[in-house]
Amino acid sequence: MDARRHPEGMSPAEQAVAQERIALAKAGNAEAWGELYREYGPAIFRFCRRAMPTREDAEDATMDIFIKVRQKLSQYDASRPFSAWLYTVAANHCWDLLRRRKLRQDLETGEVENMPLEHPDPGQLEKLIEHRSGQEMRRALDKLPARSRMALVLRYYAEMSYDDIAATMGVRRTFVGVVLLRARHQLREILEGQGGAKLAAGGAT
Amino acid sequence: MIHFDEMACLLYLEGQLDPARSQELAAHVQECAPCRDLLHALQHETILLSSALTEDNETMPARLLSERTRSFPAWVWTLAFGAFAAGGYWFWNYGIGPWFDQLSNSGFGGTDMFSMIVFSGAFWEGWSDMIDAIQIGAAILLVILAIGWIRRRLRRSVAIAVILSALLFALALPQQAGAAEVRRGQSISVPAGETVHNDLIAAGSSVRIEGTVEGDVIAFTRDLTVTGHVTGDVIAFSQEAMIDGTVDGNVRVFSRGVILQGNVAKNVSAFGSSVDLISKANVGGGMIVLAGETDLDGKIQRDLLGLVGRTDLDGLIGGQVWIRGGSLVVASGAEIRGPATFEGREQPVVQSGAKLASPIHTEITQEVQRNRRSTGRVVVRAIFGYGGALLVGILLLVIFPGFFRATLREAGSIGLPIGVGALALIAGASLLVLGVLLIIIGIGAGVAAVMAYAPILYVAQVFVGTWLGDTIMGQPPAVTSAVVGRMAVGLLILRLAGLIPFLGGLVWLAVFLWGTGAVLLGFYRMSRVESAPSAPLPA
Repeated sequence: MDARRHPEGMSPAEQAVAQERIALAKAGNAEAWGELYREYGPAIFRFCRRAMPTREDAEDATMDIFIKVRQKLSQYDASRPFSAWLYTVAANHCWDLLRRRKLRQDLETGEVENMPLEHPDPGQLEKLIEHRSGQEMRRALDKLPARSRMALVLRYYAEMSYDDIAATMGVRRTFVGVVLLRARHQLREILEGQGGAKLAAGGAT
Repeated sequence: MIHFDEMACLLYLEGQLDPARSQELAAHVQECAPCRDLLHALQHETILLSSALTEDNETMPARLLSERTRSFPAWVWTLAFGAFAAGGYWFWNYGIGPWFDQLSNSGFGGTDMFSMIVFSGAFWEGWSDMIDAIQIGAAILLVILAIGWIRRRLRRSVAIAVILSALLFALALPQQAGAAEVRRGQSISVPAGETVHNDLIAAGSSVRIEGTVEGDVIAFTRDLTVTGHVTGDVIAFSQEAMIDGTVDGNVRVFSRGVILQGNVAKNVSAFGSSVDLISKANVGGGMIVLAGETDLDGKIQRDLLGLVGRTDLDGLIGGQVWIRGGSLVVASGAEIRGPATFEGREQPVVQSGAKLASPIHTEITQEVQRNRRSTGRVVVRAIFGYGGALLVGILLLVIFPGFFRATLREAGSIGLPIGVGALALIAGASLLVLGVLLIIIGIGAGVAAVMAYAPILYVAQVFVGTWLGDTIMGQPPAVTSAVVGRMAVGLLILRLAGLIPFLGGLVWLAVFLWGTGAVLLGFYRMSRVESAPSAPLPA
């Protein structure tokens, strides 16, 4: 687990401190809340930055998410990891925003279920992604439709379970994999466009 | 050999494959190089994705880290209050002020319109009650604010609570002050010989006052007939109103048809499609007429002030006359003892025999209108209007970027802001009507509603324009100049569309509703945002 994404996942001692802090914040301790915000704020901001189309959106969303978190803190079940719960709140908020926004069109186009799945040539795929910098990848991610980007962010940034992703994005659990794979395919297409080996389909069947 | 597909490989990597199939795949991969390679490639892709997403290339913006967020509410409220005050000033200066000046110039009741309305208003017996009520209202407000301050979560409801309490306060007031008798029913009558020792509030399909009311009469009815004696004022909202008796106070009627043939000791204000003062009628004070047409054959001891389509004057006017409208005929039986002014499309007709203190000072408005319509003026006005709106928009964008963004975003969802805008319009209108109904609070609340509304109306075009620009030119990068460019284009289109006859009016209406709604939603959003990450943000 990445400490930047899941700050409490470090050591049992630190985890205990974090839990203590959450309990205090739950009880209304302002200082503890401040600590929590400082600790998790950057991770949530980065999450929003990845999930939302613009920086401003991400900033607004981060603020709104923490308002919600503060209001809902009493509902937090301490047996779950705090960051997982936090990401659920954040994901729901961002997804809700995206859905309500005009981005709707690209969220709803595409019959996820009928997507023809190509079987890429592994060698070509390797070639396409090798030596890609994080920045190149992020630029490509930014070009993804909101739905695909969201799915990838939920899975590979927030490390959410398939169940949570399904609940957040309102798709059936069995299609989470399809959404993710489709997103990867779209990403590969964008990367191809950015220059790189042409990815031949149908390498192995 | 049968290979596993990419989906299965991905699910396997993500630990989402059921155990049996998972084992199968693991075994297969031992022997099958292409599938093994695919697994590796996918895994590589996953790692790449993860690291690209998590790389810390951007730090948390200062806006989110600093305590400054807490100062947000202050500026939102300051802006709201500022807009309110500016609107108020504007409205007073250009809306009410000249009207009042006009009235006081006409020597209406010896004082100005405001004190006339306020201090001889229907409910004005209760000045001390009013003070109590204000104090109670203020106390309630303070308590609500205190609760809101202590309990952050209540914040969102505070605004609603304030509005509700203000409304309740407004509704409670006349009862406190007046303690009137209320009658409801099909037809309400105070028969001859009966005396009501109180104010009378009557609501029914017909209201007849043949007896005596020792107080004010406030009537909501289809037909109002007053043949008896009212010692206070008569305030009526009706379809047809006939005042044939004696009214010792003022008469204020909002009615399609108004016929006055009795004796009114003080002033008359009549708003209607037709207003007739029959020859035996006598108005001790002045008269204000807002009507489609009016025949004034009776006596008005003081001034006459009219906004009337067609005026026939055949009676006595003791003071001066100021009439604006389509046409004026001064018949042979008329007598005007003060100076007379007429602003209208046609020259007034003065029949021989009419007695005038001085010739009617006439201003023909048609010329002015034609001038106004001349292309040159239209263009100049359009350019100034465009520049002004653009300037206001840029200022908003630069000074309140957060609010600007929030509002623009709200504008993007089209239906909602238009709905909210329409609601606001209805609410504003209701407040205005409520204001007229309860004349004292009345003026205050009504003016307040308009005051708050005017600047929002003006700003509405900025957001709709920017939205339009965005829609045409695409979402801008978050650079001020790009937003300004889109704003300029959008506003230009709006302004041009607004110039089209008739259609332009509809365009403006849509823009107003839409933009107002967006602004209100923007305010709402900002007020939420600020109440937020709250107190102990790390510095």
